[in-house]
Amino acid sequence: MNLRSNPICAGTGLLRAGRLVWRYTTSPMPLSRAYQLRIEYRQDGVPHVFVDDPDLTRLAEGRRLPHVYQQRPTPRLCLYLPRAREWSSWMRIDQTIVPWAALWLFYFEEWLDSDAWKGGGEHPLSKPAACTLCLRRWPLGGN
Amino acid sequence: MGFDAPLSPPHLIAQKAQLVAVLERLCEALELTPTQFELAKQRHEAVGEWLAASPDPRLRTLSIYLQGSTALGTTVKPLGRNEHDVDLVGHIADGGGVPPAILKKLIGDRLRQNGHYRSLLEEMPRCWRLNYASEFHQDITPSVPNPLCSNGGELVPDKTLREWMPSNPKGYRRLFEQRAALQPRMRLAKGIGFRGDAATDIEPYPAAGGFKSTLRRAVQIGKRHRDVYFDTIDPGLAPISVILTTLLARSYEYCVTHFVYDNELDLLYDIVRHMPDSIESQVIQGRRLWFIWNETTNGENFAEKWNNDPRRAEAFFGWHQRALRDLEVLAAAEGLDQLSKGLRGAFGQAPANKAMDALINEMSDARRNGRLGVSPGVGLSIGSPRATGVRSNTFFGAP
Repeated sequence: MNLRSNPICAGTGLLRAGRLVWRYTTSPMPLSRAYQLRIEYRQDGVPHVFVDDPDLTRLAEGRRLPHVYQQRPTPRLCLYLPRAREWSSWMRIDQTIVPWAALWLFYFEEWLDSDAWKGGGEHPLSKPAACTLCLRRWPLGGN
Repeated sequence: MGFDAPLSPPHLIAQKAQLVAVLERLCEALELTPTQFELAKQRHEAVGEWLAASPDPRLRTLSIYLQGSTALGTTVKPLGRNEHDVDLVGHIADGGGVPPAILKKLIGDRLRQNGHYRSLLEEMPRCWRLNYASEFHQDITPSVPNPLCSNGGELVPDKTLREWMPSNPKGYRRLFEQRAALQPRMRLAKGIGFRGDAATDIEPYPAAGGFKSTLRRAVQIGKRHRDVYFDTIDPGLAPISVILTTLLARSYEYCVTHFVYDNELDLLYDIVRHMPDSIESQVIQGRRLWFIWNETTNGENFAEKWNNDPRRAEAFFGWHQRALRDLEVLAAAEGLDQLSKGLRGAFGQAPANKAMDALINEMSDARRNGRLGVSPGVGLSIGSPRATGVRSNTFFGAP
């Protein structure tokens, strides 16, 4: 998956029963915290990205984390819009998921301070605007 | 941070470079914009022409020039006010022997003869103020030649307007500029041990432009921190700007001629640390007296007020300790949120927010333009050829 060869996600991996677990430590900026990330990927599945440390919900002090699939026990990041095919299984994780995770963490730290998510994106079904955007992107009603 | 200071690890250097970049933006948010500066210049030239066109022969020898922070390039927006201070000297070459109150009145009378200036005019103890609402105000202080100063010094009114006292705005500016032009010796010249070091595989923080002028930025940072610190204590005890400027300029000269640094942040901190070194003090008849002499003329002690009120000296040292501590807190901040909090505490909400917004906007613009990448050991970086590009994405999420 090229995770091993790219120094931006230097870490350790485990491959077992067709499932890859890659752990690495990253900072989105020099002045940011160091975050321990875990990427789990099964052949023909989609990569799941978890932040194992620090505890993001603790840093958020009771606020709901933006742009995650789950808050607990370990936040799982929502990094791309599945319907827009921003990620496909032929793409290299170190060139897509890994940079997006850094970007997520960058906007996350800013969100901690300002309470405003400045990285853009969508929260599906939560607002009518998200549906409008889906329709606009997929005018033929596919997916 | 002398010769023997160990070279900082690359990640620490990247952190410090990024903090320098953030402080640079903070200072940009505090100073006169180039447009405001140009406007101020046009206006002071116009007022100079109006004064010199006076029928009074003494005013016809008047020339007007910038002094203070606008002349030095160290302006800082005052707290809680929209107007910057722009300080001008109205130098009357032929004004020798005339009492200060008379010359000040001459200038005021001439300004009142112009309907435009009359509507902007406000009298101050030693000078005349022209208020340009929500932009800046211009203070015009009269001066005459000082025949006793071999350094081209001038005389300006004292606070009571009864006496002339020595000053040398032009000489002060010259000395400040000479010091600011001294180049610090940086151990890591561009590319050495950093870009080329395959073992660390780390690039310098690419968006960092460094300080435009380390001394000028140090003065702005010091002045702003002072404004915020004394705002809640007693603004009347705050050290005046010329004290901070003089001490920082001397300290800068000392640091860059004695030490070698490996980054601009360490230099900045060292300049602030050494500020008190050049303050002179003596106990005379049981009283401690303080002296911060104007080196460009004889007889101007910038710390004169400290000798009338010892609390001022204490206030300076208290502020200095706090400024050092707040700067250390910034360097130790973990996370952009902590950094932002530290900046707000030290420099106030508005410039802190502007500096952080500038950082966020730079990244977001680069992301939109496809110039954003991720570099090993640095993280997000702009326009770096070795970085892994950040492709277009849309953050998604559960409802």
